[in-house]
Amino acid sequence: MRQPTAVESRGVDEILAVHELRRSFGGVRALTGCSFGVERGSITALIGPNGAGKTTLANVVAGASRPQSGQVVFDGRDVTGRPSHEVALGGLIRTFQISREYPAMTVLENLMVSPQRQAGEKLSTVLFHPRRFRSEERRHLERAVEVLAEFGLYEKRNDYARNLSGGQKRLLELARAVMADPKMLVIDEPMAGINPALIERLADHIIRLRDARGTTFLMVEHNLDVVERMCDKVVVMAVGQTLATGTMAELRGNAAVVSAYLTGGVVDVRAQG
Amino acid sequence: MGIILGYISTLGVYFCIYNIFAFGLNIQFGYTGILDFTVITFMAMGGYMAGVASLGPEQPGSGIYYVLGLIASRRLRSDYLAIVTLAAGSIVLGLCGVIMAICWLVANRIYRSTFGRTMRAIREDLDVAEAYGKHTFRVRMTAMVTGCIFVGIGGVLTIWFITALAPAGWGTSETFVVWAALIVGGCGNNLGAVVGSFLVAVLFNEATRFLPAIPAFPSLVSEIRNMCIGGLVILTLWFRPQGVVGERKARFFEVPLRTESREQVRVPAVVASGS
Ligand SMILES: Nc1ncnc2c1ncn2[C@@H]1O[C@H](COP(=O)(O)OP(=O)(O)OP(=O)(O)O)[C@@H](O)[C@H]1O
Ligand SMILES: [Mg+2]
Repeated sequence: MRQPTAVESRGVDEILAVHELRRSFGGVRALTGCSFGVERGSITALIGPNGAGKTTLANVVAGASRPQSGQVVFDGRDVTGRPSHEVALGGLIRTFQISREYPAMTVLENLMVSPQRQAGEKLSTVLFHPRRFRSEERRHLERAVEVLAEFGLYEKRNDYARNLSGGQKRLLELARAVMADPKMLVIDEPMAGINPALIERLADHIIRLRDARGTTFLMVEHNLDVVERMCDKVVVMAVGQTLATGTMAELRGNAAVVSAYLTGGVVDVRAQG
Repeated sequence: MGIILGYISTLGVYFCIYNIFAFGLNIQFGYTGILDFTVITFMAMGGYMAGVASLGPEQPGSGIYYVLGLIASRRLRSDYLAIVTLAAGSIVLGLCGVIMAICWLVANRIYRSTFGRTMRAIREDLDVAEAYGKHTFRVRMTAMVTGCIFVGIGGVLTIWFITALAPAGWGTSETFVVWAALIVGGCGNNLGAVVGSFLVAVLFNEATRFLPAIPAFPSLVSEIRNMCIGGLVILTLWFRPQGVVGERKARFFEVPLRTESREQVRVPAVVASGS
């Protein structure tokens, strides 16, 4: 494995650093040399017009898609092109833009899948040492119930995940990710299509997780109000590149950012006012 | 009377063997979502290995018959011969039953385990399971191999106890029958596999044997049989897509909810960042 040399330290503790990532799909160039860093323990927003390459970036970072060139360094390790499960075991969990629960499993089961490196995931343990994973199951179960209660899904624990409402699926997605005990969460539009009250709740959950557990967040989000309220840093992407980084206040004065949003089709008057 | 009982015990043996096939396929498809259309390959492999092994004298099926036959011819009057034959039949059935029971227990233990849950998660959404750190390739491989071992065991029993294997007679239709059994009975539930094996492999497969063969169309009966099973599959998918006994909801023992962990209350700060 290569050493993380390409990304020099910028004086802050960066849990994730991407450098000059390029990825194209046939003729479509989704990432055209994207570089930025995410500070450990921060809630960083990734914003940009539709088609800017945000989801592609999340895919590349999480190992779901290989970059044609560039580098991804997570937690001091070069994870460029490593398979998803390996990146996940390293402590980076991502959620999907469209909720993807395990439909025909119950809410509780959805959570119980998440803990990593479970002893009961080995066939030989299952067949010959069942006792070894029973206590582990019990532990995970207690934790899962606790997490469900935190996210207000306790009453739904024995429902099939496919029967949840859109908003509940969003909550489940986050609860399931928390169960995996990640160092960093990359969440792709966690608040798309949910009502303002639930947006508040999700935002509170994210802030609470950061404060209580020190989880780093990289959050793709279009709602600039939410971004302003929650995020420490903002990374703006346009046409596959990083356009600017900084706090929301800094970016508001950045003409390039404003124009990217105006020409990119997403206009949020309040955020620019 | 004796003939009928013998026939029933043969059916019982078939039933057990098809159960084992269906458990194997259930592990692959019902648990993990792997589309295995080569079930027959592993039946044949098991059968072949058993066949090779039974070139020696250690073939249990014929062994039992041999011992009982010996007793019968030496010590018993001919009146008892029928009873001894029956006894042999029921011993064979008992053996098959025991092996099937072991397979049942193993299959169910896997289903209920953490591993089984991971298999189901992979069935539900491979990419998500992968994104949660599951080595999906390895799990699917394990599921495939485990299922094939089950099917292979079924193949071995076929050779030992049915003692008829004509490679030409094992075509796609065998695979089809096992698939049909699982779909009709219900995927993801071994009880479904049992019900399906009974309905499809025993009732349909056997009942149609009583249709008179028409000399002009020697394959007509088997074609009708396949059509009946196909019809049954379509009816199931139409009216009861989850199968006669569908997959059951996972039940966990109820962990009492501690009152302080209601929503909006902080989580225990166990993990410090960067640890
Ligand atoms: N699998 C793919 N095959 C072909 N083109 C793709 C693929 N994935 C993404 N693209 C293209 O790459 C570009 C960036 O897409 P991406 O999904 O990353 O945008 P995004 O920033 O997430 O947009 P949105 O805000 O709408 O979610 C788009 O032009 C898209 O059409
Ligand atoms: Mg997107």
